[in-house]
Amino acid sequence: MKNDVYKNELLTTWEDTYKKGQLTLWIFLALKDGPKYVNEIRDFILEYSEGTISCEEQSLYRALRKFKHLKIVEFSSGKGNKGPDRKYYELTEIGIEILSAFISRNIKLFFNQKLIELMNLK
Amino acid sequence: MKFITKNLIAYALLLLVYTLIFRYTLSNVLESEKFILAMVSGVVYGVLIFITAWILGKAHTIKKFVFDAGLGFNVTTYIIWGLVSELWFILGFNSKYENIRSVHYALIIWGVFLIIHFLIYWRLRSRTIKGVLKSEIFD
Repeated sequence: MKNDVYKNELLTTWEDTYKKGQLTLWIFLALKDGPKYVNEIRDFILEYSEGTISCEEQSLYRALRKFKHLKIVEFSSGKGNKGPDRKYYELTEIGIEILSAFISRNIKLFFNQKLIELMNLK
Repeated sequence: MKFITKNLIAYALLLLVYTLIFRYTLSNVLESEKFILAMVSGVVYGVLIFITAWILGKAHTIKKFVFDAGLGFNVTTYIIWGLVSELWFILGFNSKYENIRSVHYALIIWGVFLIIHFLIYWRLRSRTIKGVLKSEIFD
């Protein structure tokens, strides 16, 4: 019992650190799927990460403003259901290129046969 | 990186007003030999500058993610304070207790610190992309 609590504590600490660095990848994937406004990005992340990655609206706005400043994303105004216009964010050409390069360098390697076996994914 | 921003312009305008009021007050209280008031006005002026630069500088950094290590604000303060002070003496608005040499000494010493500040900024710039700290881009 004590051992389980200890293992769980270690695991959640590891996961917290791991997830922190993942938000950018999830935002970019959401935007590669098509232009989205902030709530849609959040829903996409929640759905496709199967609830393991959740993010505050404020964190998303902050990240998107930063990416806009760096010309990684851009936005256009579109009609909301009601109320003011929404900002629809999408990846710029630079954004698409760095996402593609990042996936090639850092994600594809996990599809190596040996690693798939080691991770018991087969 | 965009060096001159709305916040910096707002700061420059406020500083100009503060400095003119400070110079006017200082010369008048010195002329009336109210030396304690002269010290008080100096402290109030300094605190006002600090608070204004702090608020506008912080908002500027958060909004634009720009990291300039406060150099823009330091340079602006140096130029406006120096210009107003020099003109104050040239136009003869100073009191008999004020000496232009004290302005020159302040500008020389401050100038040395400004150069050091610039060197620090130059060094830190390599840690940024478009003014954003690399460590904060994808955090």
